[in-house]
Amino acid sequence: MKQLTELATPFAKVADSLPLVGNEFPWLNALRQQATSQFNSDGLPAKKVEDWKYTSLWTLAQQSFTHNADKLSLSAQQCDQVALLADAYRLVIVDGVFSPALSTVEALPTGLSISSLSTSLNNVEHVLGKQVDLAKAGLTALNTMLMNEGLVVTVAADIHIDKPIELLVINSGNTEGLATHLRNVITLERNSKATIIEHYVGLNDVSYFTNVVTEVVLAENAELNHYKLQQESENAFHIATLAAKQASNSQWKTNNISLGAKLARNDVHSQLLGEQSHVVMDGLYLVNNDQHVDNHTRIDHAVPNTTSEELYKGVLDDNSHAVFNGKVIVHKDAQKTDANQQNHNLLLSRGCEIDSKPEMEIYADDVKCGHGSTVGQINENQLFFLRARGLDEVSARSLLTYAFAVDVLDRIPSEQIRQALSSVIEQRLPRGGV
Amino acid sequence: MLEIKNLHASVDGKEILRGINLTVNAGEVHAIMGPNGSGKSTLSNVIAGRNGYEVTQGEVIYKGDNLLDMAIEERAQRGVFLAFQYPVEIPGVSNIYLLKAALNAVRKHQGLDDLDAIDFLTLVRSKLELVQMDEQFLHRGVNEGFSGGEKKRNEILQMALLEPSLAILDETDSGLDIDALKTVSDGINALRSPDRSIVMITHYQRLLDYVVPDFVHVLSKGRIVKSGDKELAKELEKSGYSWVNTEQDGLPA
Repeated sequence: MKQLTELATPFAKVADSLPLVGNEFPWLNALRQQATSQFNSDGLPAKKVEDWKYTSLWTLAQQSFTHNADKLSLSAQQCDQVALLADAYRLVIVDGVFSPALSTVEALPTGLSISSLSTSLNNVEHVLGKQVDLAKAGLTALNTMLMNEGLVVTVAADIHIDKPIELLVINSGNTEGLATHLRNVITLERNSKATIIEHYVGLNDVSYFTNVVTEVVLAENAELNHYKLQQESENAFHIATLAAKQASNSQWKTNNISLGAKLARNDVHSQLLGEQSHVVMDGLYLVNNDQHVDNHTRIDHAVPNTTSEELYKGVLDDNSHAVFNGKVIVHKDAQKTDANQQNHNLLLSRGCEIDSKPEMEIYADDVKCGHGSTVGQINENQLFFLRARGLDEVSARSLLTYAFAVDVLDRIPSEQIRQALSSVIEQRLPRGGV
Repeated sequence: MLEIKNLHASVDGKEILRGINLTVNAGEVHAIMGPNGSGKSTLSNVIAGRNGYEVTQGEVIYKGDNLLDMAIEERAQRGVFLAFQYPVEIPGVSNIYLLKAALNAVRKHQGLDDLDAIDFLTLVRSKLELVQMDEQFLHRGVNEGFSGGEKKRNEILQMALLEPSLAILDETDSGLDIDALKTVSDGINALRSPDRSIVMITHYQRLLDYVVPDFVHVLSKGRIVKSGDKELAKELEKSGYSWVNTEQDGLPA
């Protein structure tokens, strides 16, 4: 049997033939070279790697992908239809290519910069690649080798941006087997504040591969509300790495909603590097049929007086499979850490499977840490109550499922975004609405 | 309205109801009283259709149709309402959402369109007044963090909104202080009408001081052992249930 490393070689070869952006930057070439040698030695992670124990990349590795999208233009109307927010600064990437025509990132307020990666490489040397570890899991290395586009946002010191920013990544389905490797870089300088949504949408049910890495840098007292909504096609592979470094007094509220894809994997990582920094790491996965979703999260409390709250909820139906592995690490001397991590799952069928593994590693002695994990079914008393009030069984189950899921949105400060996301969740329920 | 004939029902293979016969006509208010374990709650759950209650014999006819053949929701849509002894908390579902969904389910069955938002709110407000509930309760999760009395008032609110033909009130008086009992009773009395039947299931007589029944039945060991008017309830209050059990023991099994 071939090893996953061997099956990964087609990706390695692509690097030589693909017109990659930024060849004129020596720092980028050096980084890519480093990534290439890392990927050549590691390949794609196999199931014997602990972090990939429950998720197999065999089907991904065996499929052949193209990195050249056939040209396609979407209408503004098509774009509006799939966008989460009507009123947002929007940067649109279609089939891996930045679309200036569909984007609304001109006439920005002072202190806000939104641009595509391909046009911003001269500004990101000090940030790009600094939040992620190339040696960990081959997909970041693969992304670094082949990244060609993405979103770059910078908010200057003391600037508060009220209007949300939506990164809309659309796969049109026009190119069968398209692989895209996107790199997003988000930087909030001191005392700044912004709201950013990463939104991934598949328009047609073809197979493709989205491999994205998002890096977040929060300077002192910066506050980022960050959401990721994944609605890829049910034949797609979606692999996302999201990593933040947080300075003192910074706040990162992130919410990671996985609805689509045949196979989805999220690695979400926050490093609390400054005192009084705070992270809210919430997420929801709602899967059915044969979908597989794997969320690996990690929070490093590196210094004293930092706090984290994490709530991941899952709803599984049919023969779907979900993995939750949440790691909270309280480093030596990180006294007065306050960390809470919860993972709750609702199983709607006998065929589904959840592997839930909350982990805490605590090396300090004066901390407050708690975690919990539950797996349950629809509450029969609640179901009876709703039916005894006249709701048919399917509607009653939908409503209870919705009620279970929707509280992962509770910590989203913006009413507008909470409502938009809750209606997306509602549409995804067995009946498609409650 | 409701006709129960020789109803036998078991839970986990154990027979709880052992031949209930009861006829409730339109406009009547009946009280079913009995000691703990006599089968009161089993009777209400069988009528509402809760899983786990197996009817082994007999029938329940509602407005001429076999009630036991209907799905839980169909019974509700056709106008059977059960006020729960222990109302369920449903965090994440707002009270107003439940009320709207329940009302629209009943209306749909009647061939009516959904009420629009304004008409619905006007209607709900008038019912809130009836049970003296503040409008803020509409926006909280169903029964979430409600006190015992608030939960019971919420049940009566749902009943008032849905205007059922047959209401089964399962121990609606339990856990209520005197003020809440009065409010709840006022709500029930307001719903008395010639085309609505009410069956109150209770352990104590005190609810019957406020909602005066036309008939009182005593349930013991799964059978109705005595029926009478409101005076029977007073007799029970005076002498307890022990005499009922003594009489019952004399009956053939």
